[in-house]
Amino acid sequence: MGSRASTLLREEEIEEIKKETGFSHSQITRLYSRFTSLDKGENGTLSREDFQRIPELAINPLGDRIINAFFPEGEDQVNFRGFMRTLAHFRPIEDNEKNKNSASEPLNSRTNKLLFAFRLYDLDRDDKISRDELLQVLRMMVGVNISDEQLGSIADRTIQEADTNGDNSISFNEFIKASFWASVTSCVLIYAAVLFA
Amino acid sequence: MPPKRKNDAIVKVEDVGMEVDAVLDSGSEDEARRRAKNRRPQRKAKRVSDDEEDEEDEDEAPRKRGRKKKAKPRDSDEDDEEDSRSVKSKGSKASRRKAAKEESDEESEDDRQKRKKRGRAASKQEKEEHNKEKKGNVKGKEGMKDKGGEKDKKKKNGKMSSSSSSSDSDGESLSEGEIEALKEQVEEKKRTIATLRNQPWRMKRRLVVLKEAQEFVEKFEGALGKGKGRKLYAFKVMMTKKLIKFKRDFDNFKTACIPWERKIKEVESHFGSSVASYFIFLRWMYGLNLVLFGFMFGLVMLPEILMGLPYGSIPRKTVPREEQDTAMDYAVLFDFGGYCKYSFLFYGYYNHERKVGVLQFRLPLSYLLVGVGIFGYSLMVVIRTMARNANEGGDGAEEGEFTFSWKMFTSWDYLIGNPETADNKYASITTSFKESIVDEQENQKDENIHLRRFLRVLANFLITSCLGGSGYLIYFVVKRSQEFAAMNKENLSWFEKNEVEFVMSLLGLVCPPLFETIAELEDYHPRIALKWQLGRIFALFLGNLYTFLFALFDEVTAKLESEKSIKNSTEWALNQYYSNYSSFFNTTDVPPPAVHPADVIRGPCWETAVGIEFVKLIVSDIQVTYLTIMIGDFVRAVTVRFLNYCWCWDLEAGFPSYGEFDISGNVLGLIFNQGMIWMGAFYAPGLVGLNVLRLLSSMYYQCWAVMCCNVPHERVFKASRSNNFYMGLLLLVLFLSLLPVVYTIMTLSPSFDCGPFSGQEKMYDVIMETIEQDLPSFIGNIFVYATNPGLILPAVLLMVLAIYYLNAVSKGYQQANIDLKKKMQMARDEEKNRRNNKDSTNQVMKDLEDLLPNKSLIPPPTEEEPPPPDVVVEKGSKSPKTKPGTAGKGVNLQKDVSLAAPNPRAPVTRAPGPRRGPPGRAGGPQPGPGRGRGRGGPPRQ
Repeated sequence: MGSRASTLLREEEIEEIKKETGFSHSQITRLYSRFTSLDKGENGTLSREDFQRIPELAINPLGDRIINAFFPEGEDQVNFRGFMRTLAHFRPIEDNEKNKNSASEPLNSRTNKLLFAFRLYDLDRDDKISRDELLQVLRMMVGVNISDEQLGSIADRTIQEADTNGDNSISFNEFIKASFWASVTSCVLIYAAVLFA
Repeated sequence: MPPKRKNDAIVKVEDVGMEVDAVLDSGSEDEARRRAKNRRPQRKAKRVSDDEEDEEDEDEAPRKRGRKKKAKPRDSDEDDEEDSRSVKSKGSKASRRKAAKEESDEESEDDRQKRKKRGRAASKQEKEEHNKEKKGNVKGKEGMKDKGGEKDKKKKNGKMSSSSSSSDSDGESLSEGEIEALKEQVEEKKRTIATLRNQPWRMKRRLVVLKEAQEFVEKFEGALGKGKGRKLYAFKVMMTKKLIKFKRDFDNFKTACIPWERKIKEVESHFGSSVASYFIFLRWMYGLNLVLFGFMFGLVMLPEILMGLPYGSIPRKTVPREEQDTAMDYAVLFDFGGYCKYSFLFYGYYNHERKVGVLQFRLPLSYLLVGVGIFGYSLMVVIRTMARNANEGGDGAEEGEFTFSWKMFTSWDYLIGNPETADNKYASITTSFKESIVDEQENQKDENIHLRRFLRVLANFLITSCLGGSGYLIYFVVKRSQEFAAMNKENLSWFEKNEVEFVMSLLGLVCPPLFETIAELEDYHPRIALKWQLGRIFALFLGNLYTFLFALFDEVTAKLESEKSIKNSTEWALNQYYSNYSSFFNTTDVPPPAVHPADVIRGPCWETAVGIEFVKLIVSDIQVTYLTIMIGDFVRAVTVRFLNYCWCWDLEAGFPSYGEFDISGNVLGLIFNQGMIWMGAFYAPGLVGLNVLRLLSSMYYQCWAVMCCNVPHERVFKASRSNNFYMGLLLLVLFLSLLPVVYTIMTLSPSFDCGPFSGQEKMYDVIMETIEQDLPSFIGNIFVYATNPGLILPAVLLMVLAIYYLNAVSKGYQQANIDLKKKMQMARDEEKNRRNNKDSTNQVMKDLEDLLPNKSLIPPPTEEEPPPPDVVVEKGSKSPKTKPGTAGKGVNLQKDVSLAAPNPRAPVTRAPGPRRGPPGRAGGPQPGPGRGRGRGGPPRQ
C-alpha cells in the first residue's frame, strides 16, 4: 500500500514537505496512504466528514476543535500539504533539534505545540481563553452531569489558577506558564492515532 | 569563567560525537598536550571557515550550525581535560592536577550519561562526521573511521539525509546509521580499555569500567565484521527488538490478567475513587483468602481425604446412631448438623494418627502448623501491603497549584477509540471534577474555629456516650441471657430466648445512621469523616464480637465439663469391659470391644461445636448481606423507578430516592467477616473455602448492584488508592482474632475422642512430640535452651531496642523527605519564575545579554556569584542546575551543584585558553550570541 501511494506522490513534492515539516520519507508516504484512505471523495482533499470518521476524533469531546485545526480560516477542504502541516505539530521533538537556532521555528517546537493546544480552547481565536470558552469546553467534556453553577466555579477556579495579569482570561503566555506540557504530549498521541490507525 | 564551566557537564553530554572525534585525534597520549596547544589557532580559523560553509549550504544544514559553533570550542577543551587527566603529569601545574582529580568524578557521571545517550546520539554523530568530512579533515587516521565516513557520504548522496528523524526506526531493523553509531561506540570502548591504565581513578572503578567496556566490545564486535558476524549481529538486534515488543505485550497481558480491573474501573469512573477503594480492598481480600485456602486445602484437607481413613471407619467419622435418621434432612444440614458435622469441613473429623498414608504425612503436626501459619502469613501480608502502600505515599490528596487547569486541559485521553470507554472516561472526568470541587470547598471554607471545635467536641461526646450506652446494653443483655440459660428453656418466651441477637441487630441497625447524623455536626471533609465513621462503627462491632466470644466461651466451658464426665464414664466402662472380658475368658489379650462406630459413646467435641458456630455465623451474615442488597438497593430502586410514574411526589428526587453505596458499612463488614474466618479456620478448615466462594460471588453481585441500583454520593470524594486505613483496621482485627485462638491452643485441652490432637494433654504437644521423636536430639536441646527465660528476656529486649532504633530512623527519613519535598517545590517555583522572566525578554535584549558573560569571564576568582545579567542568560539556557547556591531541581542536581561549586580549577585552566581570545578579537560578538542562543534552545522552543 505504501509503495503504491508513494507513486502517486511526486518526489519534489515529498522533498518540499520534508523540508517544511521535518517528516522522513517513509513517514510521508505512509501518511499519504493514510490520507488517501481517509479521502472518501477521492478528490485529493479531506472534508470535515472525512475526519469525523476517525473514531478517536469522533468520540473526543474536543474532536471538533481538533478537526477545525486542520482547516485554514473559512475553508472546509484541506489538501495533503495542509494536512501534513498540521500533523507536523505532533511530531515529537528530537534531541538533535533541541539546540537549534531558533530563527525559524519548526512546526513541532514546544511553543508551536502549545499554541496548537491553546487554539483548541481558544474558540474565537482572539488569543485569549475566556470564561465562556472554558465553559463551552467543559460542557463538552462533562455533559450535563454537573450543574451549571459548579461548572462556572470550575471555570472560575481554572482561570484564577492560571491568570496572572488579572484580566479574567488565560492568555497564551499564561497558558505556557501553567506548563501544560502534558496536554501537548497527549496531542502527540493524536498523531500516533491518526498515523497508525 | 563561571558560566562556561558550569555548563560543561551539559555540553559534554550533548556533544558526545564531538568529543569522540577529538579524542581520536590525540592518538598518542604523550604528545597530546603539545598538539592540543598547537591546534587552538587552527581551530579558530576552522571555525570561521565553517561558518562560511554553513552559509553556503544554508538550506541544507540550518540546524547544524548552532551545534557546531558551540561544539568547536568545547572540542579543544575536551582535549585539555582528557590530556590533563590521562597524562596527569610532569609539566602541568599543581592546581591543574588537583582539578583534574576532582573533575574525574564529574566525568564518570558524564560517561554514564553518554553511554545512555549514545543510542539517541546516533544521528547526531553522523552529522558531525559529515561536517568533518566536508571540511576535508585529514586528521581521521583510523581506517575504521574513514570507512565510516565514506559510507556516510554514500548514504547521504544516495538517499538525501534519511537520518533527520530518529523516530523512523520502522522499516529496516538495522539501518546504516545504527551500524555507524555502533562502530563509533566500539571504537571508543576499545580506546577506553587502552587508556584505562592511565586514568587517575580508583581501582574499583577502573575494573567496573573495564568490564563494561569489554562486554560491550564483545557484544557488538560482530556489527563491524562482514558476513557471518554481521548477520549474527543483525539477528541479535532483531531479537532485541522482538524481545522489547514481547515484553510490552507481556506487560499488557499482565495488566489484562489483573482480575476485575475493568469492572472496578467502571465503578470508579461512575462512583468515584472512594467506592472503588472498597472493591479494590475486596479484591485484595479475595487474593489473600485464596492463598489461605490453598494452604488449608493442600496441607490439611486433601491429605486427610486421600490418605486418611474413609467415612464410617471410626466413631469420629460416623454419624451417631440416634442422629442418623435426620442426618440428611435439609434443616439439619442447613444448621451444619448431620453429615456436615462429621465431614472434613470440621475439626472433629480429623484423625489423631501420627502419620498417614504412604508419604508418612504427619497430619496432626501439619494441622497445627497450618492453623498457626495462617495467622503468620496474614500478618506478614497485611504488614507488607501496608508498608508498600505507605511508600506509594500520600493519602491521595495530591497538592499542586494547577489542579483544575490540569484537569481541564489534560484529562481527555486522546487515544480512546471505543465508545464505551469514552462513556466511562466522561463519567470519570465528571467524577474527578466533583472530587476536586469537594476538596476545594473544604480548603476554602473559612469558619468560626471556636464554634467548630465546640461542635466537634460535642459530637464526640455524644458518640462516645452512645457507644458506652450500647456497650452497657450488650453487657447487660449477655448477663441476662446467662441467667436465662440457667433456667428452664420451656418457661422462656421467644423474645427472652433471642434477646442478645435482637439487641445486637437493633444496635447495628440504629447506631451507624445515628453516628452519621451526629458526624454532620463535625463537618469534616468526607474523606476524614469516613475514617471517623469507620472507627466508630468498628468500636460498635467490637461489642458484637465480644458478645459472640463470650457466649462461645460459656459454651466451651460447659462442653468441657460434660466431656470430662463422659470421658470418665467411657473409661470406666472400658475398664469394666476389660476386666469382665479378662475374667470371663481368662486371658490378658483383650480384643477391643466390638461396637459399631455409630454406637460408640462420644464426647461433645467442643472444637467442632465452635467451628459450627463460626460457619453458621458466616452463612447467616452472607444471607443478611445479600438480602439487604437485594431489598435495600434493588427492590428499592425498582420501586422508585417504576412507581414514580404513578405517585404523588417525585420518588427519585424526594424521599426514598435511590440508595447510596455504604462504604463504611461494607468495609467493616468485610473486615469483621475476615476476623471470623481467621478465628474459625482452626476449628473449621472448610470455612476458608466457604469464604472464598463468598468473596467471589460478592464481587460480582456487589459490582452489579452498585452499577444497577445505586447513585453516586452527593459529595463524591477522592479516596486514597492505598487503603491503608482499611488495612490498619484489618490488622487490629487480625490481632484480636489471634488472641482467642492462641489462647485455646495453649491452655484448653483438646477433646479426647475427636480431632487431630485427641489424646494429647495440650494441642501444642504435637510439636514437642515431633521434636522428641523425629528430629535429632541436639535440636531438642536447642529448643530447650531457646525456651529458657534467660534467653528469651534478652531477645525481647533486643527486639524492643531494634524497634526503637528503626522507629527513630524512619522518623529521620520522614523528616528528610519533607525537607526534600519543600526544596523541590521551591526549585519548581523558581524555575517557573525564571521562565516567565525569560519569555518577556526580547531578542535584542538577549543578544545583549549574551555578550555579558564574556566580560564576566575576565574576573575569574569569584565564581560563586556571577553577575546578575549573567544569571538571566543562564536562566534562558539550562535551568536551575547551573546556578550554584540554589536548591537545584532535586537531589541529583544538587549533587551536581555541590560538585561544581567548590571546584577551583575552572578559572585557572581555562583562562589562557581560546575563551579569552574571541572577546579580545574583533569578532567578539560572534561566538557570544551563537553560543548563548544555541544553548538557549530547548526552553524557548
